[in-house]
Amino acid sequence: MRISNERAAAPGRRSRRIAFTAWLGTVLLIYGSGCFAADGDKLFAQCAACHGTRGEGNATFNAPAIAGQDAAYLERQLRNFRNRRRGVDKSDVPGAQMQAAALATLADDAAIAKVASYAANLPKTINASPAPGNLHNGNNLYQGKCGACHGGAAEGNPALNAPRLAGLDAPYIKRQFAHFRNGVRGTDPQDTPGRQMAMMAKTLPSERDLDDIIAFIHRQGRPK
Amino acid sequence: MKKGVIVGLLVAAVSFGAGTYFGRGSKQDLTISSSTQGASYSGGFKPEGVATTPGAAIRSVAGPAPANVVVVKDGESIQAAIKASPPGTIVRVMPGTYHETVYIDKDDIRIIGVIEAGRRAVLDGRKQLNDAILYSGNNFVAENLEIRNYKGNGIMGQAGNNFEIRNNLIADSGVYGIFPQLGKNGIVEHNVVSGIADAAIYIGMSDNILVAHNDVFDSVAGIEIENSRHAIVEHNYVHNNSGGLLAFVTPGLPIKDTVDVIFRNNFVVGNNHPNFGAPGSTVSGIPAGTGILVMAADDVVIEGNVISENKVAGLIITDHAHAQNITADPESEPNSDRVKILDNVMLRNGYDTITEAKALLLAEGKVGAKNLDIVRVGPSPGSCIINRHQYVTVGVSDFSECEFTNTAATVNYLLPPVPPREIKPGERGKVVYLGICTGCHTYNGRMIGPPVQVIQALYMDNPQGLADFIARPVKKRPDYPEMPPQDYLDPETRLAVAQYMLQVTN
Repeated sequence: MRISNERAAAPGRRSRRIAFTAWLGTVLLIYGSGCFAADGDKLFAQCAACHGTRGEGNATFNAPAIAGQDAAYLERQLRNFRNRRRGVDKSDVPGAQMQAAALATLADDAAIAKVASYAANLPKTINASPAPGNLHNGNNLYQGKCGACHGGAAEGNPALNAPRLAGLDAPYIKRQFAHFRNGVRGTDPQDTPGRQMAMMAKTLPSERDLDDIIAFIHRQGRPK
Repeated sequence: MKKGVIVGLLVAAVSFGAGTYFGRGSKQDLTISSSTQGASYSGGFKPEGVATTPGAAIRSVAGPAPANVVVVKDGESIQAAIKASPPGTIVRVMPGTYHETVYIDKDDIRIIGVIEAGRRAVLDGRKQLNDAILYSGNNFVAENLEIRNYKGNGIMGQAGNNFEIRNNLIADSGVYGIFPQLGKNGIVEHNVVSGIADAAIYIGMSDNILVAHNDVFDSVAGIEIENSRHAIVEHNYVHNNSGGLLAFVTPGLPIKDTVDVIFRNNFVVGNNHPNFGAPGSTVSGIPAGTGILVMAADDVVIEGNVISENKVAGLIITDHAHAQNITADPESEPNSDRVKILDNVMLRNGYDTITEAKALLLAEGKVGAKNLDIVRVGPSPGSCIINRHQYVTVGVSDFSECEFTNTAATVNYLLPPVPPREIKPGERGKVVYLGICTGCHTYNGRMIGPPVQVIQALYMDNPQGLADFIARPVKKRPDYPEMPPQDYLDPETRLAVAQYMLQVTN
């Protein structure tokens, strides 16, 4: 009986399903690709809590700027967090937090792609107060060590898997640099770009040089 | 109260400074020397059995001319003729237009253009080809050619000794016009070179060189002597470049010093061309308006030049630390030691100089100076000058009086033909690295291409990937020039040089 009842109800459900599909189709037609952005938007709401509503980053939460960052880089890092290639080392507490967040909020590669694309399309941000340092030394070292991959104006270069650095806050750059140098990040055999960066991080003479380089980076991409 | 103390201290400090300066100025007597009298600089190179009198000077280094002659006519290929010829051949190239890159890996090849009523043999790269001529053979001669529209080099030498490059016209041909790299005993003379994005004439890691009677203009760097020893640069007309004459140590190259360079009797005029070197590259750090630049080179003698209308300064002497876009090299001594400034004519230089130079003028109390001939920053131990009172200077007050007034006793540094560079078995990768790669890549700085350190990180465990890349490079960096294909090297050589490059440590 119940079976037949269900069967009897089926045509009504089917028609509702057809109606819903038609409605969805209309919505899709109206909103076009905006639909996917809206999806990314929803996912991004989770990121905004730490990374800021404009993706500008928040040094208090150890959260770097992600607005306008290269989408492929963001995807790769999110996958690295989910696949436990990043945020594993005990010393990397913010990395562990990000790993937990990525596992909790991003179900699969499709979700990662959507949120990365959303963040990549946000307007690029710059640091409100650029870090101080010796710009002459910073320029010279940046050109000699960093610019060949990260671009002459720290704008990043997807062709070399190198992220934009211009909008990142100084504590984040210093922390990641130390991670690369000290074998916390860029050690997984699958993480080729990370290993490349780790090799370069070991070539910088001193912490003060890094400060100067960051001062140079912070002056890139600013309105003149 | 506090403000008053500070102002008082300031006034005291300024008065003390001014007093010291003017006091010293009035006490110092002028030391006046005549360059036609007094001792002569004996040079830094004493080869055995080489004449030291002008009449017996060596004017040719490539040895006797070969007897075998072939003729290439318009519509034929210069490269095909060279391929078919044995070592020891004169290739005469008739007037016409030749769209090709010519590689010479044999010894004693001479490519001699024939000029008919002003019509030359023109090598035209059509902005598609990278290089006009690449030679690795010894005793190579290139004469009377016209080279245009290449993207990389006009004429580049790759470890060839005893070369003569003369009477050529080279325009708009990439980053280097004439570029002998890792060569010993060579002459570059009577060439007209213009429109080059780095150095019009670039002597790289070479020894015993004469660069004379060239007309060099509209380029970023005019004539550059870099990581080279025993070079004389004389009787050239160097005008409207960003920098005119340069003696450099570029850090991160396998040869670590530049020693014994004589710049004499050149016209170094109006080198004020906007600097169009790739931003961030070494050459883009040259302030547009520089007559002569000495950076970390030792024993550079500057004599008898007419240096005028260079808006930043007639002569800048600097160390690595003060230079722009330079990463220090622990194995390179960073200072310009023992610079020797003899009599030169310096006129109307430094009329629109850079802020740093203005600050230095102020610091020396030279308020209101309208011109600036000589600027020195960074240590320059053992340096000397004569007749310093004739120039507007900063930073040379501690230079001593030179013990000589001219370089007449040093005729040139050329030698009878020297033997080819010795290449031991297993050193192929090293020689290619030195002779080719380091023309554009330094270990830790941005010259033309990315630093070797960065390449090592990118290809750490993948020499084959690097070997494949150099055969067919892909442009990845929007702000760097495109890497030219190195597919003229065979696959084994490419792998050998990739392996070598990935393990060098400086």
